[in-house]
Amino acid sequence: MDLRYTPEQDAFRAEARAWLEANVPAEPLPSFDTEQGFALHRQWERRLWDGRWSAVSWPEEYGGRGADYLHWLIFEEEYYRAGAPGRVNQNGIFLLGPTIMEVGTDEQKTRFLPTMASSEIVWAQAWSEPNAGSDLAAIRSTGALSDDGTEWVLNGQKIWASRAVWADWCFGIFRTDPEAERHRGLTFVLVPLDAPGVTVRPIAQLDGDTGFAEIFFDDVRVRVENTLGDVHQGWRVAMATAGFERGVSLRSPARFSAAADRLVALWREHADPSDTALRDAVVDAWMQAEGYKLHTYMTVTHMIEGGTIGAEASLNKIFWSEMDVRIHELALDIAGPEAERMDGEFERWVDGFLFSLSGPIYAGTNEIQRNIIADRVLQLPRGG
Amino acid sequence: MRFAFTDDQKLFAEGLRDLLDKECTPTHVRAAWDDGAGHDFTLWNHLAEMGVFGMLVPEAAGGLGGTEVDLVLLLEELGRAAVPGPVLETAAVVAPALGDAATVGTAVLDRSPYVPHAHVASLVLVPGGVVRADEASLTAVDSIDGGRRLFTVDAAVELFAYDEELAFDRGALAAAAYLVGLSERMIDVAAEYARQREQYGRPIGVNQAVKHLLADALLKVEFAKPTVYRAAWSVAEREPTRGRDVSMAKAFASDAAYRTSRSAMQVHGAIGYTWEADLQLWMKKAWALQRAWGDATFHRRRVAEAIL
Repeated sequence: MDLRYTPEQDAFRAEARAWLEANVPAEPLPSFDTEQGFALHRQWERRLWDGRWSAVSWPEEYGGRGADYLHWLIFEEEYYRAGAPGRVNQNGIFLLGPTIMEVGTDEQKTRFLPTMASSEIVWAQAWSEPNAGSDLAAIRSTGALSDDGTEWVLNGQKIWASRAVWADWCFGIFRTDPEAERHRGLTFVLVPLDAPGVTVRPIAQLDGDTGFAEIFFDDVRVRVENTLGDVHQGWRVAMATAGFERGVSLRSPARFSAAADRLVALWREHADPSDTALRDAVVDAWMQAEGYKLHTYMTVTHMIEGGTIGAEASLNKIFWSEMDVRIHELALDIAGPEAERMDGEFERWVDGFLFSLSGPIYAGTNEIQRNIIADRVLQLPRGG
Repeated sequence: MRFAFTDDQKLFAEGLRDLLDKECTPTHVRAAWDDGAGHDFTLWNHLAEMGVFGMLVPEAAGGLGGTEVDLVLLLEELGRAAVPGPVLETAAVVAPALGDAATVGTAVLDRSPYVPHAHVASLVLVPGGVVRADEASLTAVDSIDGGRRLFTVDAAVELFAYDEELAFDRGALAAAAYLVGLSERMIDVAAEYARQREQYGRPIGVNQAVKHLLADALLKVEFAKPTVYRAAWSVAEREPTRGRDVSMAKAFASDAAYRTSRSAMQVHGAIGYTWEADLQLWMKKAWALQRAWGDATFHRRRVAEAIL
């Protein structure tokens, strides 16, 4: 065990810090769930790409730096420390990208990865349907092969598709064998959102912005070359993607460490020092962020040494999502009456609180995660 | 940066687990509870032979010359088995303070009026010095944990210079590691019970209310672990953040162990409320150790002093 960074890792950190200090916009960008904010975030992604910082953990041939998880964590720490903008193409770079590298063809890697890393194409995810949320295998949207076998003809409806309002492409699963048992007969397909027959209807979120949308497919034709993984094996591909989402790659500890540090600063500036209950709660939240960071470093060491993570990823997802809510609740407790204002001094905390409430729901609700942990880690009997 | 144990460290812990699976079953622990000593002299000799008490003692003094990182997984295993007697006090606190693995020692550095295990120890480490337990007047009080006898000790303190803050941090770290082991065992026992016990014609573990109790307990324990391992490293390296890191670990481990004990007992239902169920062997040690060496509130406040 050695918890010190090597000189090489320190140098990498210094390089990232210097670049970010020189390039991060002085003023925070408007939310990427607004039209203007989306465009500005895409520009920011382009700048990251030009500096070769947009996908540090990707291989160099696709525009990354071939960084291992540890270097990626270091980069993330610097990224959030610098207060850099949110990642508008995270569905692509952190979820779809790794999936394409795992199961995609060489042609798909060449076709999709570079434009993803540069955010020339921003990706939306299209998993859920009106009657398939936690029970994702209940999806009904269909894909049928055209008569000549060169195209999928897609029909149906997706919902809660993050970033879909202004994104360029989406990825999702479609039922391609109606006769098969429900987890089989699904195929993972990549779809341009400007294809004829695609209709995107924005949905206003709790914060009023349109960060997600419904997507309607009416005889949408896409080339079979847009199939990711094998035909009828879409469930397995989707689970690999979901694993990236619940595991280390989407929710790096740096975001929460930065929020916890801001919470501590807020306490120093605004709280009543005699309120020891609040103080203890703030310290506990800071400790949780630190605990999450340590847990991630342990996981990452395990993965660098050839280990894999399975259902344990569900532990991560519950921990960070509940911690994120807690950090924001405490900030609003400190804000007092100001916490009601959407436009005041604590605006960022109020926005963050609303956003944090989506965490225990998306990427599989925390109740589903607890079932996964009980069934697969604790080996409790299924079939409640 | 490498946050993992070596193969040797893991093998040593596995060897200890094998020994404890044979020599420290619930039957052994109950025997120690029942015979009045709250201690297992045979097991003590096995642990001494393995080198557990000499881990932090230099090789020149007959120890293994290891560090807290080498010791922490062993403490976790000792916790899993609810090993009775002054095991963590001797291995983690007294032996390194004295530089001697042969003395059966105990310590009271957490301002408690009660000295655990004083009747089997020859020496008690106290603030500012030591007390010769074998020459002192001991008055027994009942601990909730039958594997941990408590005493008030009436004796003069012999001056002895040692690093008290380091000794306290080692004790708190060791208690945290013990608590992690106790918690893991309680989850294992409760999960096994949930697989076996049937109601309404099916195992109770199919119910989501039961699943979620245990999933939440596991969550607490799995996130306490890395804080305990980091604390071991910080103590071993004498890092400037040592006190803060140990306190984080003890606060997390105390909270995790208590929540786990509640969940494990609830899953057991009425049998969990009996003397007969072995669950009490782990629960009660957890309840004693969650407060020994500073409870979660004490340690959170120590973290507060470091960060606020």
